[in-house]
Amino acid sequence: MKKERSRKYRAIQSARIISQAGFFSLFLFLLFKTHFTGQDYIGPVETFFHFDPLLAIATAIASRVLFASFALAAITIVVTLVAGRYVCGWVCPLGSVHQFFSFVFKKSKLLKPRKEEKSAGRLAWKYYILVVVLVAGLFAVDLVGIADPLSFLYRSFATGIIPWFARAGGAFIGLLYGVGLSSAGDAAAQFFGTLSLNQTFQQGFFLSLLFLGAVLLNISKERFWCRYLCPAGALLGLFSRWNVAKVRVDMDKCIKCNLCTIHCQTQANPYPNEGWRSSECVYCYTCASICPTKAVTFPVKKTPEKIASVNLSRRRLIFTSALAVVAAPFFKITPAGKRAADKLIRPPGALPEPKFLQKCVKCSECMKACPTNALQPALDEAGPEGIWTPVLKPKIGYCEYYCSLCSQVCPTGAIKELTIEEKIKVKIGSAWVNKDRCIPYTLGRPCIVCEEHCPTSPKAIKFVLVEAKLPDGTVAVQKAPVIDLDLCIGCGICENKCPVMDDPAIYCTSVGEDRSEKNRLLLETIQPVVLTEEPKDPYR
Amino acid sequence: MNRRDFMKDLAVGSLVLRCGPSLLAQGKPNPDLAIVTGESPAALAKEALAALGGMKRFIAKGDKVMIKPNIGWDRTPELAATTNPEIIKTLVELSFEAGAKEVTVMDNTINQAPRCYARSGIAEAAKAAGAKVPFVNEYRLKKMALKGEWLKEWEVFTDFVETDKLINVPIAKHHSLSRLSIGMKNWLGAVGGARNQFHQKIDEAMVDLAAFFKPQLTVLDAYRILTRNGPQGGRLSDVKLQKTVVASIDPVAAETLAAGFFEIRPDELPCLGLAQKRGLGQTSLEKLTVEKRTV
Repeated sequence: MKKERSRKYRAIQSARIISQAGFFSLFLFLLFKTHFTGQDYIGPVETFFHFDPLLAIATAIASRVLFASFALAAITIVVTLVAGRYVCGWVCPLGSVHQFFSFVFKKSKLLKPRKEEKSAGRLAWKYYILVVVLVAGLFAVDLVGIADPLSFLYRSFATGIIPWFARAGGAFIGLLYGVGLSSAGDAAAQFFGTLSLNQTFQQGFFLSLLFLGAVLLNISKERFWCRYLCPAGALLGLFSRWNVAKVRVDMDKCIKCNLCTIHCQTQANPYPNEGWRSSECVYCYTCASICPTKAVTFPVKKTPEKIASVNLSRRRLIFTSALAVVAAPFFKITPAGKRAADKLIRPPGALPEPKFLQKCVKCSECMKACPTNALQPALDEAGPEGIWTPVLKPKIGYCEYYCSLCSQVCPTGAIKELTIEEKIKVKIGSAWVNKDRCIPYTLGRPCIVCEEHCPTSPKAIKFVLVEAKLPDGTVAVQKAPVIDLDLCIGCGICENKCPVMDDPAIYCTSVGEDRSEKNRLLLETIQPVVLTEEPKDPYR
Repeated sequence: MNRRDFMKDLAVGSLVLRCGPSLLAQGKPNPDLAIVTGESPAALAKEALAALGGMKRFIAKGDKVMIKPNIGWDRTPELAATTNPEIIKTLVELSFEAGAKEVTVMDNTINQAPRCYARSGIAEAAKAAGAKVPFVNEYRLKKMALKGEWLKEWEVFTDFVETDKLINVPIAKHHSLSRLSIGMKNWLGAVGGARNQFHQKIDEAMVDLAAFFKPQLTVLDAYRILTRNGPQGGRLSDVKLQKTVVASIDPVAAETLAAGFFEIRPDELPCLGLAQKRGLGQTSLEKLTVEKRTV
């Protein structure tokens, strides 16, 4: 028999690779575009997320609210129902990353596909992960952000890869200057300046390692994440049983070389044909283009036919559901729900804490958009549910007064979209002076840097003359800061710019934040007693 | 005599008396300082330079020129926290007309640089006139001997040093610590490092920096001045329309004059006395040739 690979399917395979490169480039383009570009309003840079049905469904379950932007996810679902998991194979940028590294590892012989793949049982893992995410959502615990592929990819890039890129770029610029190419150095520095890349993230190293780990898993199995872990892939797998595009192996042509199954990216098992798993196929067309005898084809059938899928054991499904039910309350043990945390300053427009946690998918869009690098992935500030949710760290950055980018780019509405006019009125916390460390209060020297930087008009930081007793017994009188809490919005610029570097003498906490009805300080109806005034006679 | 009257006397009396005769004289030398009032910031800047004898007095053919506005804050021009963009644009145009090879406009901002550059309107205006408007670049930061009385050495952006001509274009603003933030304070935007420590000896720091940078020309934007809540303002009610531009070869004189806009006597600003003592300029305006115009 004449051995010849199918031109048609090799062309389709090339088209798929171009599509993957295109969508990944689009992902990168939107990622790099997510910063202040000269306009107050940024446009729909977060659109990728809205096509993700897992985020749509899991967030809707956890928060009991449908978010209109997620209507786009219906397109993904319809495409999958009709045609199969094309989105996984042709669009998903994380899938493309895994596919690319699988290719690299295969070429470098690090990854050697087995003749017989025995680990079919693992395919079910992702379905169990999906079950855990959705069932936990029923108990208002939103775990989807941890494992969703787009959240995972964006978070890894925003807090790991981009900072790496910025710092590597910085080192490169330093090198250019070092070898005397200062005009090239200038140009490179200006280029990086216009990108506004945030390069400081707590857990940045750890989050980078997680991403590295996910990439290295491809050494074990091609597209390991997509095969075994991805809950979004599992969800699309559930929708991908009745579609019209099915793999068919022409047994007259087949030479039983098994290449199609060996090189199947997602273990969909095209040969033997009756063992093909519709739910696992991502339509990469590797099988059809690798087949030496053109035996593998993807004929379109007019009538959808149901095809056997991954075996999900009913016992395991019940077990994982029960696991999620049992686990959900554990996430609530944290004091975060009992009492507001002082250091948990949320971005302006963030919903009240319980609602915020149910909606935030930990994608780091807000952290990428933040002009001052202020928004950081939480570790334990918001309890176990709140890991990697955005928290404002004034020591690292502050909330830029006229900026509402974080609220504009949030894909789920966990941060309510705000106009600039709305944003400048939002109070996200309150500033406090630590008089023991404040330079005028303690050292008797001029400072009030905080007052200078306070962005509100009139300023929330006023100054009073205070006496400082100095070590030599003399007394110095200086202007020292006092806070007007009615005006303070908690932006944190005072803390950020305070010259007391290690532990700033002025600092912000979350108390007084508009979004919370409990995290309050003053009853507005009670007027403070002013002692310096003569008490008024109530009878006159 | 109250303060307002004193200032009026100082400004009007001394200027008219001292400068009046020189205006009449033929073949008069170029004045040291020009005050122009009028409606359009661009026209004011243009006229102020014309009154000083034209930009050619300061810029030679082929010069590299650095213009240092105040772009410190993320505020729009009408809030008077940053230098008026039209004045910057005019100065860039005049510099090129005078033969400058290259004109750069930059500042080490306090709020995020892209925001300040964009929303102040300065980046767009200066670029339209052909200037380079780069962000400050930490790799061009160099620890330099300031040889000041307080600041012995500091990290300076070399762009402001490695230039043929330096033009300081501050805006006149209120400031809670130094009372006013004008030209000398503007030099805080030409350096890096822990700038927030300057506040501990603000007047000395300002004078040390002014003595180090020594601009050839100071063009003071007093078209809108910020009278309170400085140096950022934030409300239109913090702003007063002064409709004035001052151009001067004497940075101290320009600053002294600007103090009058805020009804502050020169002796109330320690930095002015310190600067005069260091030989940076004059606080006694009657010792200068001053030209006053209206457009």
